[in-house]
Amino acid sequence: MMYRFMTIVLAVLALIQAPALRAQDGPLRIEITEGVIEPLPFAVPDFIAESSAANELARNLARVVAADLSGTGLFREIPADAFISPVTSFSSPVQFADWKAINAQALVTGAVNVDAGGKVTAKFRLWDVFAGQELGNGLQFSGTQDGWRRIAHKIADQVYSRITGETGYFDTRVAFVAESGPKGQRAKRLAIMDYDGANVKYLTDSSSLVLAPRFSPTGDRVLYTSYESGFPRVYMLDIASVSRRVLESQDGTMSFAPRFAPNGRTVVYSLIRGGNTDIYKMDIGTGQSTRLTSAPSIETAPSVSPDGSQIVFESDRSGSKQIYVMSADGGDARRISKGDGQYGTPVWSPRGDLVAFTKQSKRRFHIGVMRTDGSEERLLTASFLDEGPTWAPNGRVIMFTRETQGEQGQSRLYSVDITGRNLRQVSTPGGASDPSWSPLQ
Amino acid sequence: MNIGQIISGLGHAGFILFALFGGVFQSDPIPFEVTQVTAISNEEFEAIMAAERPPETVSSVAMPEAPEADAATPDMSSQTDADTTTTQPDPAEAADPDSAPQETQTTPPAEADVAEEPPELMSPSEDTAVLLPDTSQRPKPRPSKRVAPEQVAPPDPDTAIDDVAREEVVPDEEAETVQEEAEATAPEEAATEIVTEAEEAAAAPVSSVRPKARPASPPQQEVAEPAPATQPEPDAESAPSAVEDALAAALGQTSDTTSETRPIGQPMTRGEKDALRVAVQKCWNVGSLSTEALGTTVVVAVDMSEDGTPVTGSIRMIDASGGGTTAARQAYEAARRAIIRCGNSGFDLPVEKYDHWKTIEMTFNPENMRIK
Repeated sequence: MMYRFMTIVLAVLALIQAPALRAQDGPLRIEITEGVIEPLPFAVPDFIAESSAANELARNLARVVAADLSGTGLFREIPADAFISPVTSFSSPVQFADWKAINAQALVTGAVNVDAGGKVTAKFRLWDVFAGQELGNGLQFSGTQDGWRRIAHKIADQVYSRITGETGYFDTRVAFVAESGPKGQRAKRLAIMDYDGANVKYLTDSSSLVLAPRFSPTGDRVLYTSYESGFPRVYMLDIASVSRRVLESQDGTMSFAPRFAPNGRTVVYSLIRGGNTDIYKMDIGTGQSTRLTSAPSIETAPSVSPDGSQIVFESDRSGSKQIYVMSADGGDARRISKGDGQYGTPVWSPRGDLVAFTKQSKRRFHIGVMRTDGSEERLLTASFLDEGPTWAPNGRVIMFTRETQGEQGQSRLYSVDITGRNLRQVSTPGGASDPSWSPLQ
Repeated sequence: MNIGQIISGLGHAGFILFALFGGVFQSDPIPFEVTQVTAISNEEFEAIMAAERPPETVSSVAMPEAPEADAATPDMSSQTDADTTTTQPDPAEAADPDSAPQETQTTPPAEADVAEEPPELMSPSEDTAVLLPDTSQRPKPRPSKRVAPEQVAPPDPDTAIDDVAREEVVPDEEAETVQEEAEATAPEEAATEIVTEAEEAAAAPVSSVRPKARPASPPQQEVAEPAPATQPEPDAESAPSAVEDALAAALGQTSDTTSETRPIGQPMTRGEKDALRVAVQKCWNVGSLSTEALGTTVVVAVDMSEDGTPVTGSIRMIDASGGGTTAARQAYEAARRAIIRCGNSGFDLPVEKYDHWKTIEMTFNPENMRIK
């Protein structure tokens, strides 16, 4: 009854206001609040070889660029056999209709030249196919033939950045502990590789146990823990010269779990003194150390926030391992982990908004993320043993160690997007653990 | 004071008078029950009350006199009962034993359609076996590389991926009309939310996933048939459309979108707007956007051709909020791709209303897409 009345009333009002309604003729307005999340289809035809010496590189560069982008899970490569029109020249116009027809939304074209001196020059353009225009300007990179993969990674970083708006993470390296041998007699040595598992180099031999390498903010040094002296001690290794030195060498103490502060001059670490494990920080230049915690419990795994003002760490002061945050100068700490189970190895995101952690609950291990106040905890993985997360420099991807169960169980490196998508194993020559992601080079 | 204001004033005044004296605010009487009562006299009432009156309390009660015992002792004789032996029924009169049931051919029930694989039993969690779960077990969502507002089952492996589902067309030489050969197409598999490995392995954590956004309502169908004699009470969902129809009718137009006699200028119905919105959101891919861009709302304007295709060069960002310049640009480019991709073959828009959609402003708000 009321409904009919309202309809009649509105109709009457509309009659009265009709001239006004016609006068209010503007654009049609709609609001889109639901979209889709799917990999963006892209195409990377082989680059144009501008010299005969560049024939092989022309294909390899395109393959590495495509692999980088596909590996993020945000992009999906359209295979070459679907291409309609070949790209024959770097400067010739793009046949957008042909790329639209195969739904390639982004197109990367490139060319490479190797001169007589062995110098490699690669250039690329990124096209928004459906808009029919270039995304950004063409860019050129030069390097040695040995460093052609880095050129490809840099091109991929540019493409990734222009489409997503985030910095890339392809031209990066990962320090890790390379493992070999059976579980009971496993040999461990420090190694470094490209983020995608290429160019593995070993930094130490396997004569002594090494643990937990951590990159410096500039990517030129690595902190790690070694049992070379029989006790755990923190060492700092210069990657270029492979020279190292002990950071903390007081008698009767054991130091471990080191990590650089964002300023690169301060190191936070754990020290066992008098049977108690606390967190310290040290100025690398002066060697002066400061104790930051004094609880009788075990405090370890410190990680400094990107702005250098806070430290997140793990402690068992409540009776089980939990995550706490305190000022970078020490003092009172507040617990941020709130769920069931035990939490450890917290790492502050390079963006500063999240903390990655390892969680043990109901006989399973998880890698997860939470806000820095402990809210919005999200578990990304689950397995027999997942631990030791490290952030990609753009804060979008996490790499961690996964160990399989049993006598033949082996440690491998895995990566996962912070949304929990795109879980994939990182290629390593053998067993691997304790990854540390370098900054963008 | 112009004529329009006078007319408007008179109209409003008429409406107010109609509302006050036309019985608009006089609601129907509230239904009530009727009970028959009978009047009784004072005497009858007193009699009833006396019957129901509680007994009065008496303070002194005379003890009853004990009865005098009879001097003569009563005779205590007794007799045995009569024989109470029960008579057994004559075996000859016993009923015949039941004859063996006649065997009848029974038709076995049809075999139930049971899957060969046993149903998956959810083993109780060790720690929660005796505890009530915080939340009831939900069906496990299936992980998929594609996340969309509506879940899509994985298509057949031989089926090509396309936005529109079509059956395979094989040319039939004997057919009267020759159809062009076409392969089968189906939308790509999609889930409604991201499923992490941790969620696959166990029940979802209580505090992790945000509540899912309400799915977009489907495009509203235009109703061209006349209303039935007993028209049901309209629900809340259909009310706006009916009001729009009333508005359209008030403007001297019909609500039939297919009518060729509709004058130009009829406003777009909600169903038509919804259809456009659904068409655009199918191509709005936010999967490759940065976190900041996912927090940026952009308003994009586009000029349209009469055939429903967007004029690519006219697409422009007219507003952005929630993020920086870079994030706004990424968000805008994703929106532009959505408009161009899905508008490539023309949006399904009523050409007779072209004046209303020749320019469209689309607000792309990714709030619901941040964690999904």
